[in-house]
Amino acid sequence: MKKISAEKIEDGMVLGRDVCGASGSILLSKGSSLSQSMGRRLINWGISFVYVEGEEVHEQEENSATTSPEELRSQLMEKFSNTINNPIMKKLFVAVYQYKLQKSSK
Amino acid sequence: MSARKSLKSKLENISNLPTLPTVIDRITKLLQNPKTSAEEIGKAITTDQALASKVLKLVNSAFYGFPGKISTITHAIVILGFATVKNIVLTASIFDAFRGKGKNVTGFDLEQFWFHSIACGAASQSIAKHIGSTEKEECFIAGLIHDIGKLIIYRNLPEDFESLLKHSKDNSVLFYQSETELFDITHQEAGGMLAEKWNLPKNLRNAVLYHHTPSQNRDYYLTTAIVHCADIIVRAFDYGNGGDNRIPCINENVWKNLGLDDTNLAALFESIEDEIKKATVFIQLT
Repeated sequence: MKKISAEKIEDGMVLGRDVCGASGSILLSKGSSLSQSMGRRLINWGISFVYVEGEEVHEQEENSATTSPEELRSQLMEKFSNTINNPIMKKLFVAVYQYKLQKSSK
Repeated sequence: MSARKSLKSKLENISNLPTLPTVIDRITKLLQNPKTSAEEIGKAITTDQALASKVLKLVNSAFYGFPGKISTITHAIVILGFATVKNIVLTASIFDAFRGKGKNVTGFDLEQFWFHSIACGAASQSIAKHIGSTEKEECFIAGLIHDIGKLIIYRNLPEDFESLLKHSKDNSVLFYQSETELFDITHQEAGGMLAEKWNLPKNLRNAVLYHHTPSQNRDYYLTTAIVHCADIIVRAFDYGNGGDNRIPCINENVWKNLGLDDTNLAALFESIEDEIKKATVFIQLT
């Protein structure tokens, strides 16, 4: 069995362990056959790794690139650019930025 | 100003709009009678076996808080209550109505669309909980369906849909704004048409019809107000994508009336994130 990042799921791979969601419910059970599109769904739902059947291979370092505070700020700024003059949107922008920053530093 | 193209008449003449199963009508009628038993409702739901199994799947998910413990529809009604089960049936039916892919449209990712919709439902539910509203389940459905008008355009007029996506992208504007610039109908109205045809409760209909323009909403204000805010928060956090990469401007009155101006936003964001994780089960229905 090997652990792979969800992005690397390919059609025909077989799940080696159950994938659990928040509070432990089973989303996909062991033995399910996987596909690339299923991998994308898992990523959407915040699942980054799965165990699949097969030989262990050396994976390169798992997702090394985390977003820097500056990048985070400019990404958000782009989204908010049309609305940032509104005082509530500004407040929301700050709150979202701080929340994301705090999460990414954990 | 250039002439706007007419989509309205085309949409009004579509003969194969998605339908909801007849069981929804039957349950609604049964629920109007105070003497109806859990068993009768259970029976009505299980006449549609495919639907019943989806309902059980949802009931047993983490989202409703009884993972893996409920084995029959009647049991579900006893534990969760009539209203909740009716909402679950409605949710499962909505997913059924829009099951499957339409044509390939450049720049549109149906999965991201559903993720945005489900996340907006979960966020609406969290906001309702946060402000102590009793309408949280309905808010989930309202958020889930707020953009169904887009799906109607996507499925029936894919070329027009594509031009809307392109216009939004090229000009960095909201999908909604592109609609008002290019056509004579928006996804709010298209969705409102369907919600009316489906005979959905007025608060759900209004949330679809006014989520971008809550100040035009005259009655059943709360659900619309909540979905308006949830949509904006979900976009700020990039939970999925409904067709454009922008954030609409908040309606200040709505934000303040909901009491969100002096609330702990970080706590709200946290609960939204949790709720979205629990809503994982819905992606299996798309």
